[in-house]
Amino acid sequence: MLSDVSSASRGWVSGAAVTGEPAGGRAAEAWDVGAAGRVVVEGLRWRPFGRREPVLDGLHLTIPAGQRVLLAGPSGSGKSTLLRALGGLLEVADAGELSGTVTIDGVVAGSRPGAVGLVLQEPGAGIVAATVGRDVAFGPENVGLPRTEMPARVDAALAAVRLGKPLDTPTGALSGGQTQRLAIAGALALEPSVLLLDEPTAMLDPDNAAAVRATVEEVADRHHLTTVVVEHVLGPWVDFADRLLVLDAGGQIVADGPPRDVLAEHGDSLAAQGIWVPGAAAPTPVPLPRTAFGSDLTMEKSAGSRDISPDVRHFSVTADPGQGAPVLAAEHVRVERRESLLGGETRATLALEDATAYGRSGELTAIVGPSGSGKSTLLLALAGLIPTVAGRTTDRGLSSPDLARLLAWVPQWSSSTIVARTVLDEALVTSRALGLDEAVCRARAETLLRAVGLWDLRNADPRHLSGGEQRRLAVVGALVHQPRALLADEPTVGQDRLTWASVMGVVEAYRETGGAVVVSTHDQAVVDRAHAVVRLATPDSPPPEPISRRPLVSRAGPLSLLAGALLSIPAGIASPGWRWSLVVLAVQAVLAVVGLSTVGGEGGRPAGRIKRVALRMVPGLIGSLSVGWSTWLLGGHDLGLAATGVLRVLVIVFPSAVLVPYVDPDALGDQLAQRLHLPARPVVAMSAALQRLHTFGAIRAEITGSRRVRGLGGRRGPGAIAAALSALTIGLLVRSLGAAAELAVAMDARGFATATRRTWWASAPWRTADTVVVISAAVPALVAVLAAAGVL
Amino acid sequence: MSTNTKAQASVPLGRGRSILATRPLMGWRTVDLLTVAFLGVAFGILYWAWALAYQAPSNGLAAIFPPLQGITGAPWLMAGVVGGLVVRRPGAALFCELIAAVVEAIPGSTWGAATLVSGALQGLGAEIGFAVLGYAAFGLGAAVLAGALSAPLEAIYEWSAYWTDWGMGYKVAYAVILTAAGAVIAGGVGWLLTRALAAGGALNAFPPGQEVREARAV
Repeated sequence: MLSDVSSASRGWVSGAAVTGEPAGGRAAEAWDVGAAGRVVVEGLRWRPFGRREPVLDGLHLTIPAGQRVLLAGPSGSGKSTLLRALGGLLEVADAGELSGTVTIDGVVAGSRPGAVGLVLQEPGAGIVAATVGRDVAFGPENVGLPRTEMPARVDAALAAVRLGKPLDTPTGALSGGQTQRLAIAGALALEPSVLLLDEPTAMLDPDNAAAVRATVEEVADRHHLTTVVVEHVLGPWVDFADRLLVLDAGGQIVADGPPRDVLAEHGDSLAAQGIWVPGAAAPTPVPLPRTAFGSDLTMEKSAGSRDISPDVRHFSVTADPGQGAPVLAAEHVRVERRESLLGGETRATLALEDATAYGRSGELTAIVGPSGSGKSTLLLALAGLIPTVAGRTTDRGLSSPDLARLLAWVPQWSSSTIVARTVLDEALVTSRALGLDEAVCRARAETLLRAVGLWDLRNADPRHLSGGEQRRLAVVGALVHQPRALLADEPTVGQDRLTWASVMGVVEAYRETGGAVVVSTHDQAVVDRAHAVVRLATPDSPPPEPISRRPLVSRAGPLSLLAGALLSIPAGIASPGWRWSLVVLAVQAVLAVVGLSTVGGEGGRPAGRIKRVALRMVPGLIGSLSVGWSTWLLGGHDLGLAATGVLRVLVIVFPSAVLVPYVDPDALGDQLAQRLHLPARPVVAMSAALQRLHTFGAIRAEITGSRRVRGLGGRRGPGAIAAALSALTIGLLVRSLGAAAELAVAMDARGFATATRRTWWASAPWRTADTVVVISAAVPALVAVLAAAGVL
Repeated sequence: MSTNTKAQASVPLGRGRSILATRPLMGWRTVDLLTVAFLGVAFGILYWAWALAYQAPSNGLAAIFPPLQGITGAPWLMAGVVGGLVVRRPGAALFCELIAAVVEAIPGSTWGAATLVSGALQGLGAEIGFAVLGYAAFGLGAAVLAGALSAPLEAIYEWSAYWTDWGMGYKVAYAVILTAAGAVIAGGVGWLLTRALAAGGALNAFPPGQEVREARAV
């Protein structure tokens, strides 16, 4: 029903597909002959709906096969847009007017799956599967490569990026740099001729960034790839690139040539446009008027009330070498993150171990370390927004307004935390929630918005701003009410020299008037300005204990487990009266004990199986009692009737509590497609979405945490609850939609658009255990049906 | 820069007409599939949370008149309506509601795997709503129709699964109340939600996003 019957005949770049012939007949460069990966762009014009001016307008460009191009330009110049156009991916997740042609070796870009490999900025944005092997195999699956040929292809791709991990390594367990190298491996598995990289190292620490650059250079060499890299920061790529292309704010090519020549000729003007040119001195934060931050409003407000950060008083200043008075503190903090495993077990991994940081009045503290080392977690601990296993943090019990007066927090993703409908209102959210003087705050908001270049957009909808603009707005909104501390997660990512100078100007002005600033960052220019630097290393989690003794049910596949759970419905419905329901429930309980027992194998038994089933029964228990109560109320206070109602629900729910935790999303996809022959693409989309399920907890925490910090949390009454609920709903949906759009681009770059006849990395066998599960689950249903028929 | 500029309408549109999905109607783009799947996951999480929170209001309503519990049942009908309104292709409503049901069942819910049956029946109902309009109308009226039609099949299933002891009068009253609440809560609120997402620029690759931008055009 959902199959895509026609996509095979659809060009991805529909506008371009019809208009153009490949630009033949031009003098080919020497290295062009015989090699693949020649890219020709002719008259490319792209205007997304909703914008008056095109982002790209009449662009012409020829990239000879094997050339390495560094693509630069100020924010909003259309670099990423051009990169996606080169892959034929412009219309995957946006709609607009497209004309002109993009061809690769004479063929319309996007028409051969995998001709172009794409690596996105955010590590993990393009991850499709739960394990490393399956993720690399995604492209080969889409083009129908036989399963027997896949392991060799996958091994070769992983070896090329030097990712020597077992194929069943969870993709979520990789560092940011490893994840980017996995993305490159995923592209290489389709043997591309062109590799496109969209700021591949922007979110990585220096070591991981260097490893990714080395990998790019190595695979480009070995596979003779035409390579196009979009970057803000040119320095590290200058030696790699043969050619530097610079776009201006209007999407026109303004400089084109060997990198050193272009930089020698245009370096100053490029720096003036905001491009991070190698060799240029770090920009200076733009100073704000002395009056920008004046009388401390929140301090006045809270004067005379209780100390809003009581824990902090306990930290003796002698214990650390800093100068400023500590406003926030996290000492010897240990934070565990719980991961859900198959079977409902959870495994604790260390997010932070023995970490200490202070936010000091008038000082800038930088938290640095590789991705996964817990920088964001330490910020949350400083904000008192996260439970810790050990150590002392800022008071976690502060009310929302007290918390807002004490500190502001700018999370990495500010788009899902926007609450107002204009930029100016968004900047004033917290000061209004705290009831501060509107005139003073409005004037300050104007000063700050002017400083970061957003004043002209003050009436625009903040959700329509670019990511970089939203980040700057979030910093302004954090400081208008002048809290005592600012915590910011990577505040300078994606900023060019000009916007960097403006946003750091605001932060520095705030700090100079006594604000405590703590940032997590990879940005050396920020680290250089810090008074204190906290270096984090990735905490060593103890290796999980190998459990070789698995419960019997874990041998069954997803389909039989779901069938077993669903067979409880006829069992519940058919049971005549509470006595028979009790018998059926007893049969189910016996089967559950057998299914959850471990037979054979060595090593430790999985712990807490019974407890987990009990925990998962809690909602069902409440639901059944509710049904029983309402039945009792209606049925003339007949206890028998009520008991029947209660037991019916329990019979329906109990098998699910036992069986459903053992359903693995990837295996479910395998079985739905290969056993039930459901259409492949919807099944894969479902598996890809399900394996992101665990990220939603963090999104929820970010949305609710951000509301608390902004003074919007904790208010009572139906209105406030409705506002919180709708903010959470919309925030979750916005982030899901954004993730879906990014993933769509990555998946189409790997041939998913035309993958109606795909092959599968893993088989989906129906085992004896599956048959046993289904037959066993049929027993209680049979008992109930026979009892209802009067046979028993 | 901001995308908050006015766009010239590229397609002449009559008032109240819906912009439809690109042809062919069954030509699901990757972004269509993923968006429905991700919306389903997000709704599944919200459904699960609602399953924990709805007991108190539901029991309150039951004390007044038991079939009124149809009102607290209606939020579970929303995923199908929103999935259909966003993607506007046959199957979107069913697919979205089914995935929401799968996600709701995973952490253990009040109804266990029975949510899969409910999800299929609710999604099928919403799908019928969009289908009878030929997948050609996606305004408030269509949303209300889909929201309403997502209720009856579910209500009939619940008669035998949860409300076996009710008399026929109560059963019919429950079906009517769930249908009306589905029209208002799943249909009306789902339509508002879709509009809010489109206005926020989150649906730019989809017809609702395009409608918002066309509406702004001069």
